[in-house]
Amino acid sequence: MAARRNNPSGIVPTTQNIVSTVDLDCVLDLNHIALHSRNSEYFPKRFSAVIMRIKDPKTTALIFASGKMVCTGAKTEAQSKLAARKFARIIQKLGFPAKFRDFRIQNIVASCDVQFTIRLEKFACTSHGAFSTYEPELFPGLIYRMKQPKLVLLIFVSGNVVIAGAKKRDDFYTAFDNIYPVLAEFKK
Amino acid sequence: MGDAFCSDCKRQTEVVFDHSAGDTVCSECGLVLESHSIDETSEWRTFANESGDNDPVRVGGPTNPLLADGGLSTVIAKPNGGSGEFLSSSLGRWQNRGSNPDRGLILAFKTIATMSDRLGLVATIKDRANEIYKRVEDQKSSRGRNQDALLAACLYIACRQEDKPRTVKEICSVANGATKKEIGRAKEYIVKQLGLETGQSVEMGTIHAGDFMRRFCSNLGMNNQAVKAAQEAVQKSEEFDIRRSPISIAAAVIYIITQLSEEKKPSLKDISGATGVAEGTIRNSYKDLYPHVLKIIPSWFAKEEDLKNLCSP
Repeated sequence: MAARRNNPSGIVPTTQNIVSTVDLDCVLDLNHIALHSRNSEYFPKRFSAVIMRIKDPKTTALIFASGKMVCTGAKTEAQSKLAARKFARIIQKLGFPAKFRDFRIQNIVASCDVQFTIRLEKFACTSHGAFSTYEPELFPGLIYRMKQPKLVLLIFVSGNVVIAGAKKRDDFYTAFDNIYPVLAEFKK
Repeated sequence: MGDAFCSDCKRQTEVVFDHSAGDTVCSECGLVLESHSIDETSEWRTFANESGDNDPVRVGGPTNPLLADGGLSTVIAKPNGGSGEFLSSSLGRWQNRGSNPDRGLILAFKTIATMSDRLGLVATIKDRANEIYKRVEDQKSSRGRNQDALLAACLYIACRQEDKPRTVKEICSVANGATKKEIGRAKEYIVKQLGLETGQSVEMGTIHAGDFMRRFCSNLGMNNQAVKAAQEAVQKSEEFDIRRSPISIAAAVIYIITQLSEEKKPSLKDISGATGVAEGTIRNSYKDLYPHVLKIIPSWFAKEEDLKNLCSP
């Protein structure tokens, strides 16, 4: 991983979850997969995909009959790709001509702690109010929908910030750089 | 009395105008020349000093600009008491043939009116809720939504916009069938729709515990001193770092104030019923408030020893 861009506070958001998709490019027989692999579950009445889990990296994949696969639970992009390759290998071993087409990271969730408490009610009242939703009755955190880059930040009174919806690592670094000075204004 | 040409006598004859039957009759042969004449003199007498509530010039209810034609159409009402065979009869079916475009709107307005009656809200809030509902309905994307939740959310937003917020739980209690979650989702949806329609015009401040104090206190029958003390306490408590929903803080403050006063103390169950906060939550909020209780409760209301006597959580 390249060196971190500097943020005056020195705080770096850490990734918690990465969701990626890949196309195996072949039609799959889900029943066959479910019967012949140890770590999978398939209940067609509940959901029309096989849910398979591997231990390392600890990830879960949803494998559809069309050959498309969704891989979740990895902590870094490289791990997500590796896990997707492992799942594709399992499918190959089961006898399907699986390929690895169009691997794409769809969503990165990251979190960090700004180390100070934040006044959320004041935040929602200012010029940032257009982007914020703060309903203490419904959810304790403020939901900030940033337009550029387009992602969502959950900001809590404790100072914890969760960033979701990023497609690239740089996106959420930029987002955090943008939001940090604003949060510092509303320090309690 | 006048002269007109009578077709039977074939000449001008004297014609009598009978006011009671409205007939113009030839006096010689008795032929009725014109019947059902319309009396165009005034229907009622108006006096300068008498106004009264019934001004005969005005008819019908106030015009409703939200409805398509201002609410000019006539509705056939169901008679009170024992209408078993009325609605199934042709009159009822005629009424409900559903050709007027406003039927959904009128039904929705009626539901909103029922809900706001149950909560005792003023007409301003009800009208605002109607307006919000109409604006959302104009964008036709709300078909699949739970109608009850949508109406309840309209009312919730109207209350917020008028600075008289009601908790979601209170709205839940009068909305039939809508859960807190559904109302919350509907509210987000409406805010988004209204934001799309007019760029970011939805102005709703965040709720504060103080907004609900008066109502909760009067539900519990606290005296004026206690109410004032509670309001001050809640203002002060906002400065401290207490991470609880404002309603829970309000409930905990009420609990503390009532424990400090000499009069009949409502139990946790009573406070829970009046505020909608669960008893466990009030206890936990009390634990969070307890360290700051000296600074929050105004000194004119309770002295330090009383505060020390407060039971420790």
